[in-house]
Parts: sequence; C-alpha cells; structure tokens
Amino acid sequence: MKPTIAIREPVVDDALDQAEAKLTPEQIEKVINEVIDKETGGRLWTYVNTCIHCGLCSEACHWFLSNDRDVSFAPVTKIKDTLWVMLKNKGKVDAAFIKRCSQIAHTECNACRRCGMYCPFGIDIAYMILVVRRICAKLEMVPLYLQDTVHSHAATMNQMWVKPDEWIDTLQWQEEEAQGYVPSARLPLEKEGAEIMYSVIGPEPKFLAQLLGNITVIMKVAGCDWTMPATAGWDNSNMAMYSGDFEVMARVERLHHETAQRLKVKKIVMGECGHAFRGAEYDGPTWMGWMKPPIPIVHAIAFYYDLLVSGRIKIAKKVEGPVTSQYPCNVIRNAGLGSKLQYIMNEVCENFVDLIPNDRHAFCCNAGGGTINCGPPWKKIRVQSAKLQSENFKRTGAHTIVTPCHNCHSGVEDIVDKYKLGMHVKFFSELLIEAMEIPEDLQP
Amino acid sequence: MVNSESWDWEIANKMVADTSKWKSQFEDVWEPYISSDGEKIASIVKVGEGEFNIAVNNATWGEEPFEKIWYSRFSPDGRLTALITKDQEWTMAVDGKPWEQMYEYIWDTKFSADGKVIAATTKQDGVYAITVDEKTWECPVKLHSIASHVISPDGKTSVAIAQTVATAEADVNAFTKGSWSVVVNGKPWKENYVDVYGLTISDDGKNIAVEYRAAICEYGIVVNETPWNEKFACTWEPVFHPTNSNEITTPVRQGGQWFLATNGRIVWDTGFYSLLYQTYSPDGSKIAATVAPSFAKWTIAVNGQPWSKTFNECLLQPCFSPDSRKVAVIAKDSGNWFLVVDGTVLGEGYDNIWPPVFSPNDNKVICKVEKNGKYAVAVNGKIKGKEYEALWNPVVSPDGTKVMICGVEAGKYYRKVVLLSDL
Amino acid sequence: MYEFVSGPLVWIAFIIFIGGSLYRIYYMLAGSKKEKVVFPHMSLEHSVASLVHWVIPFNNQSMRKRPIFTIISFAFHICLIFTPIFLLGHMILLDESLNISWWTLPEGVADWMAIIVIAGCIFFLYRRLTDPVVKNVTDASDYLLLAITALPFITGFIAYHQLFAYKTILIVHILAGELMLIAIPFTRLSHMLFFVFTRSYFGSEQGHVKHSKDW
Repeated sequence: MKPTIAIREPVVDDALDQAEAKLTPEQIEKVINEVIDKETGGRLWTYVNTCIHCGLCSEACHWFLSNDRDVSFAPVTKIKDTLWVMLKNKGKVDAAFIKRCSQIAHTECNACRRCGMYCPFGIDIAYMILVVRRICAKLEMVPLYLQDTVHSHAATMNQMWVKPDEWIDTLQWQEEEAQGYVPSARLPLEKEGAEIMYSVIGPEPKFLAQLLGNITVIMKVAGCDWTMPATAGWDNSNMAMYSGDFEVMARVERLHHETAQRLKVKKIVMGECGHAFRGAEYDGPTWMGWMKPPIPIVHAIAFYYDLLVSGRIKIAKKVEGPVTSQYPCNVIRNAGLGSKLQYIMNEVCENFVDLIPNDRHAFCCNAGGGTINCGPPWKKIRVQSAKLQSENFKRTGAHTIVTPCHNCHSGVEDIVDKYKLGMHVKFFSELLIEAMEIPEDLQP
Repeated sequence: MVNSESWDWEIANKMVADTSKWKSQFEDVWEPYISSDGEKIASIVKVGEGEFNIAVNNATWGEEPFEKIWYSRFSPDGRLTALITKDQEWTMAVDGKPWEQMYEYIWDTKFSADGKVIAATTKQDGVYAITVDEKTWECPVKLHSIASHVISPDGKTSVAIAQTVATAEADVNAFTKGSWSVVVNGKPWKENYVDVYGLTISDDGKNIAVEYRAAICEYGIVVNETPWNEKFACTWEPVFHPTNSNEITTPVRQGGQWFLATNGRIVWDTGFYSLLYQTYSPDGSKIAATVAPSFAKWTIAVNGQPWSKTFNECLLQPCFSPDSRKVAVIAKDSGNWFLVVDGTVLGEGYDNIWPPVFSPNDNKVICKVEKNGKYAVAVNGKIKGKEYEALWNPVVSPDGTKVMICGVEAGKYYRKVVLLSDL
Repeated sequence: MYEFVSGPLVWIAFIIFIGGSLYRIYYMLAGSKKEKVVFPHMSLEHSVASLVHWVIPFNNQSMRKRPIFTIISFAFHICLIFTPIFLLGHMILLDESLNISWWTLPEGVADWMAIIVIAGCIFFLYRRLTDPVVKNVTDASDYLLLAITALPFITGFIAYHQLFAYKTILIVHILAGELMLIAIPFTRLSHMLFFVFTRSYFGSEQGHVKHSKDW
C-alpha cells in the first residue's frame, strides 16, 4: 500500500518537535506493543480485520468534505496512516511517524464519532483514533497547548490553572452579580445534602464568569436546591481524556464524582459542555469500573428541558428573529439529547431555524475532541476544515447560533469570524436569561 | 479525639432552639450546622444589605454583622468558626471574634482532633501559606499555590501540597522538571515533583506520605521525602497503619489491573478492575477495600478476599466495627443505596445513606438515611423512630448503650439521647 | 481430479470454513472478554435495532445518501450468498452425495444472479481504481479478495453455459468455490462473520450506553 500523500502547511509545535528529537525507536516499539497488547483487545482486532476498505466513512467526515475531498483527511486514511502501519510493523516505526500520528489523531480528528455512524459495519473509527492518541500520550507526543491543559488538569484538577482561592472568590463575586437581577439569589457553597451539585468547566471561572451568575439566577427562579463545591472537583472538563493520558483523566473524573458523593447530592447538573459530559458520563466511569456515573449526571440541555417542561421556568418573551443551534456531538449524537435541544430552542426562540443536517447527523464544530485545545499553531487548519459547517450555518440566515457546549462555542466563534457570517454565538443560558420570566417577588 | 464522655448523656429530648423563628427574624437563613455535642445549632443569616451574622441557638454569633460570611464550621471543641470579610479582606472568626490578621483570602478550615488547633489556607500579597491559630507559615520559598493541606490529630504538624516553582504559561518543560512539593510546618521537602497527590499524615503525626508522579505515566509513593523503589502505572491515596506508622498501604496499578501494595510490595495477589478506599481495621490486623472484581461489579475485599455479593453501581468507603471483626459499607445498586455488613444487605434501599457507625457492644450498625425527602435513623438498615426535616449523623455514647440523635422537626431543633435498646 | 476436488476437497474446504470461522469468532469473543467493558456494554435490544436498520436497504442515513452504492451492494451481497445455496446444480450434487435437498432457484434467475455478482465485483474494482479514497487504502490483498470472490461466479457462469473446456472449467469452478470458503475466516472476507458482532456492539454502545442511535 502506497503511503498517503498529505500536503500540509508546516506547523511549529514545540512539544511535538521536542518529542521527535527525544524519542528512540526502542521506546516507541515498547509503548506501541504495550498499548496494543495490554490496553486493547477484541474490538481493535475485529475492527482492523473487518474493515473492507470501502471508504464510505469519508462521506461522513467534515475534514474530508471541507478540504475538497482531500483523501488524506478521510477517516479510513487516518487509520491507514497510523494504526495499520503500527500493526503491520509491530511497533517498529520512527519518531517522525509518531509525530505525524499525533498530528492526525490530535489535530485532524475530533473523535466526533460521525464516521462510525456511516460505516456499514459500525466500526468505531474514533475509538481507534483514541488508541493512537493513547500511544502518542505515553510517548509524550502531544501538541503543546493540549499537553499544557492536561498538566493543568493534573496539577490543579481543573483545565485552566485556576487556583483554589480564585475559584471560590469568583463564585462569591458572581453571587453578588446575580443578586443584581434577583436580590435573594444565592450561590450555595458546600451545602451537603442539596439535591443538585452544579459543576462547570475551567474556562467559566477563568473567562466566562457571567455564566456562573446566570445559573445562580436560573436556579433561584426555578427554586432548585443546589450547591457548588468550594474544593477541587468542581471542574467537569477533561482534556486528558483527549490527549490519551487516561490516568490523569481518571483522577479528574474520580474527584468530580467523589465530590458529588461527599456532598451527598442526588445528581450532578453540568453546564453547557459536551466533552465534559462525555468524560463524566462515559469515559471516566468506564475507566473507573462504573457502568454509569455513581451520581447521575444531567447535561444542561436536559436540565433546561426539565425546567421548561415542568413550568419551573416560564418564558416571558421569546427571542426574536431567526436563531439556530449547533448540535454538540458529545451530547447529541453520543448522548441522544437532540430532541430536547430542539424543544428548548422552540420554547425560547420565536423562530428556531434548524440546521441541515441536524440532530445526531449534524456536523461537528471542528473544535471538539481536544482539537481547539491544541492551540494557535493548529487553528488555521482547524477553522479551514470547518468550511462545511460554516455553509450550513450561513444557510439558516440566523442572527444567533446557540452552542450548548464550550468547545462548540469557541469553535463556532472562530467559524463566524473566519467566514464572516456576522452571527452572534451564545450559550443557551444566555438566551434563557433574556427570555425567562422573573417572578415579581424575586425582582429587585 | 473529642472526649464525648463529658457530654450530656442523660436520657432526654431537649428542644435546643426554635429555628423556625429565624425565618421571620432574618432576611435569609442558610443551612444549619451543629456542634459535635449537639448542644448548639447555627446558621449563617442575612441581617441587612451586605450584612451577615450567624444565628447560634437563641443568640447571634458576632457582636456586629460582617460583609460576608461563609464556611461556618464547629470546631470539635464546640467553638464556632467561619470565614468572614471586612473591607474586602478576609479572615477567620472564632465564636464571632475575628483573628487580628486579615488576608487576601482564607479557605479550607481544618481542626486538630480535639479542636484546639484551627488551621486554614491563606493568601497574602500573592503568597500562599497555612495559617495555624493566627500564625502564618514562614516558608523559605515562595508558595505559588496550595492544592490541599492536612493537620495531624495532635495539631502539631500541618502539611500542604504546594507549588514551589513558578511556571510560565505553556512551559511544559518546567512543569515536567517538577514544580510541586510537600511543605511541612512551612519547610518544603528538598525535591520538587511533577505532581503530588493524596497527602496523608500518620495518626502519631510522625510520618507524611504522598503519591507523586515520577514521569508522565509513572506514579509512586514518597514517605518522608524517600520514594518507594517501585513505580506503577497509577496509584491512589496511601494510608498509614493505625498503630505502626512505618507501614503504609496504597492501591497500585500494574498491567491494567489494580493491586494493593504495602511499603512498595504487592500484598494482595488478586488484581481488580478497580480498587479504592483501603481501610485498616482499628487493631491494624486487617485491610478492607472497595473493589470491582470485574467491570461494574463492586464489592468489598477483606485481606484480598472479595465478598461474593456484588453491586452494580458503586460502593463507598468501608468501615470496621470497633472490635475489627465486621465491615460495613454503603452500596449503590440499581439506583438505591443499601447498608451492607459482611456481604449481607441489611434492611431496604434508601435515597441516601450517611456513613454508618457500629455500636461497640453488640455491633449494631446505626446510620442516617433519607427516604422521600425525609431523614431518619436506621438501625441495621431499618428505620427506627420518627422522620426529621433535617438530621445529623447519630452518635453512640462511649459506653455503647445510648445514642444521641440531633434533628429538626417542625422547624425546631432537638437533641435527643435515647437508649440504643429502645431504638 | 474431478472426483478429488468435488469429494474430499469439498469436505476439507467446509471443515476449514466452519472450523476456521468458529475459531475466529471464538478468538474475537475471547479478545473482547479480555477488554472487560465490551460485554457489559452490550444489549440485545439495541443490537437487534442496529441490525434491523442496517440489513434493510435505505433504512439508515448512510445508505440513503448513496443510493447507487446501496442498490449495487445489496444486490451483490444477496446474490453472492443465495446463488450458491439455492443453485440447482449444487443441489443435485448435494442430493446425490448426501441425499438432502431444498428449494432451488429457477436456472435463468440464478444465471442473472451470478451476473449481478460479477457486475458487482466489476463495480467494486472500478471504485478501487478510481475513487481516490478507496484507491488510497487499496492494496494487493483487496484485489485478491475481489478475485477470490469473483472467480467462483465467473467460472460457474462459464461452466453453466458450457462455453469452453467444460470439465476443466468445472474443476476450476469447484476449486475457486473451495478457495473462497477457506479464505472467508482468514481474510477480511471475515466481515461476513463479524458484521453481526461489530454492528451489535456499535448499536449497543450508541443505544444502550449512549442513549442515541446508530442509523
């Protein structure tokens, strides 16, 4: 089989370059075989022995479709250029090859799992990509900014190097902000026995603190018994899951769940983030040996759906004009919340213009799966490869794109910016705050 | 330890405070806390715009209100502490009286076993430290962050996991050289590590251990600055032997399975899908741990032998009876929580169960349970007595004959002492 | 020669096919058991749901997006499996040697079905040569598999129509069929064996574990 011709603009990523210079063939061979023998089994073997090389997966991939059907971006090619070679050579590959593997697996695939849905055999290509990432992570071949984020998770148990005091201080500040809307609003810290523990991802306290104020208002209006931890374990995000550092992933997820157990809550409600849901609901628990999270996890979409259906939140004035929504892969295709998202969009917007394709067939924002966390060096190709979704957004004619996921939010902002869509990008909670009714007795 | 012998163990049903009055007295009333002897109940209350105090029984805590109060916690000796702010600066207040020193920030209050020593993490001028009874560490190196801290039962040793080296943004090389360490009473260990976790101190306060990350995918244990020779794919928090603090045990991961290791050597020959919360019996003769022999099948292993009964969701930390013979644990199966003793489910399933305690004489297991939004005391898994709006963990008297039950009924806070045999 | 290839060799081919298939399935299951999470994630309900959506043409988005491929692929696979099983000629041999038989296809229909299989192979060959994605992941083994698949049908077609050297062609046909049987468990033709399992697993993971769908 001839090597794939992949033409890419050169990208300087210090971490990859350093790892390439450092790695020895012996190390590489040992790690590849260790991961293949010890950490994979029947699935990988069957996938590799079942794939009939039909290429139907390519039709599913936004990287392939956005790059003028460049073969090197097709899902099957990504496996050919990584795992097939490793398996064929029994791990005897060089450092430059591993570097290219990281580029493919970390920066050119979002593990969105759409291709698995278009493979006649249901071969989970994204799973194989994660096996490649695992090998890369054990060889310290991880793009710089992604690795730095993983280090943040490992050291602080949150994604953004937020220190413990900064976390609490931010919550206390946002409680005051919320009281500007609803004077009796409270952000209860460390309230043992509350019904809900609310958890967020690192960027909320770091850059988007107003979202914490928003939820404080929403919780008050809906009359929820809730709490947030004043300790580490508040961050539900997990880039270690995406770099391939599963030990750090597990430590982060374990702490998140144990924090909920310590607070004796009935459920964890999490902010609008997709990969965090994946980590907390599936990848983390699976590694820990839990079939499902020990304390049930409710994604913001399902939570807002419940509040709206039960009438705990009423809409005073729907958002005007056409509004569309991104469907975050990890909570729609891979968690089945599509119809709930459509419901809440219709409840809150006068004119919800759906994407085509929508629901579980919708395309990825191209920021997910850790790709946006690979940072500035990889931004150009990432946004360029979101062309397809930019066209889908454009067709809706919406003035606002709702992104119930942080990665989607940043990714779609990049899309709007690059393709000059002139649309606003908002979280659902921002729309809800505008649209919901604040009962008279709660008003200032 | 708190000497509970001095508490009032007369059989009585005492109404300590009518907390329902607080609702009309104050603008807002937060969730209550009680002192360990049950004699006091306290809630942070809002007394005006930007003015907070704490209602304690029938009085208020501070002479004057504070701008903000949070984290009100009773010290085991009965003093009520809270973190307060004045003029944008923070400090600890004990029984309503603030410490003299103010800080940029203060959090994570910890007490010695008898409650005499109060410690917390503080930040001043961008420098992090532990402050013990108003005395802040003087550390020879600047601490850039403190992840967690513990205090020895006697209160004499306070230890923290701290960032000892500043790292620039995305400087992964500096990070992998090591920027975290352990600081003991203000004195950092010589080594810096990539990451440090699972800080623990022996009951006698003499030995300190942590997990550390030796390389990206390599973990080990360091005891008093000396690492184990053995490295593992992963570790969890180590635990010291209760009477021999030279022995330390931790779960370790090897070849995709979890094992139990003592002083670096694997002591349980069975590997598990998961292994957590290793717990020594009070006499130190046994170790129980929460294990998953296979995926999504959880149980307890005692000295490496798993119970035959398994649960499909999760198990919390096991707890030994005082005579070290029995093991109790809270298990979750198909959405319900159960009390399990020695592999047998006692009583029915609940919406929540709090950590169980054994009565010393007859090994009855007593715990707080929640069902349909109400709380009750359960003995051997069966609800005994009435339901409460709020309830605290029942406490068994030192002689093992009585139980103190503290709870809120119809807005009133009661402290009851009943005969265990009457439950 | 004919006696050998149509007698003992058939037995050998079937024994290798069945034994090999059982072994490969066992190997796959054992490997999956080693992974610990695979079986707990499986659900019969979602496995069946996935299979129903993928064995019925146009019952999923992927097939609807590519109607021509779907039609050809289904026609090809149906004819590939059913032609040899319900062929009159095969039935006569089976009846003679083992005294068992079942319903057979009208000869004309079977003839057309063989043509469809051959046409399918040509279509797949064309894709391998022209579709850039497929071409990029095609190696000698893919051509070989196509040849192994096409050969029994090409030779069978020639033999049936007795176009030339009937006896030789017949021997080649039987050998080709036997080769294909033997190849199924040990090459990627094993997708025939694994289809049910990979589909069931992905269906279960999407449905049972992730509360979504895989079609």
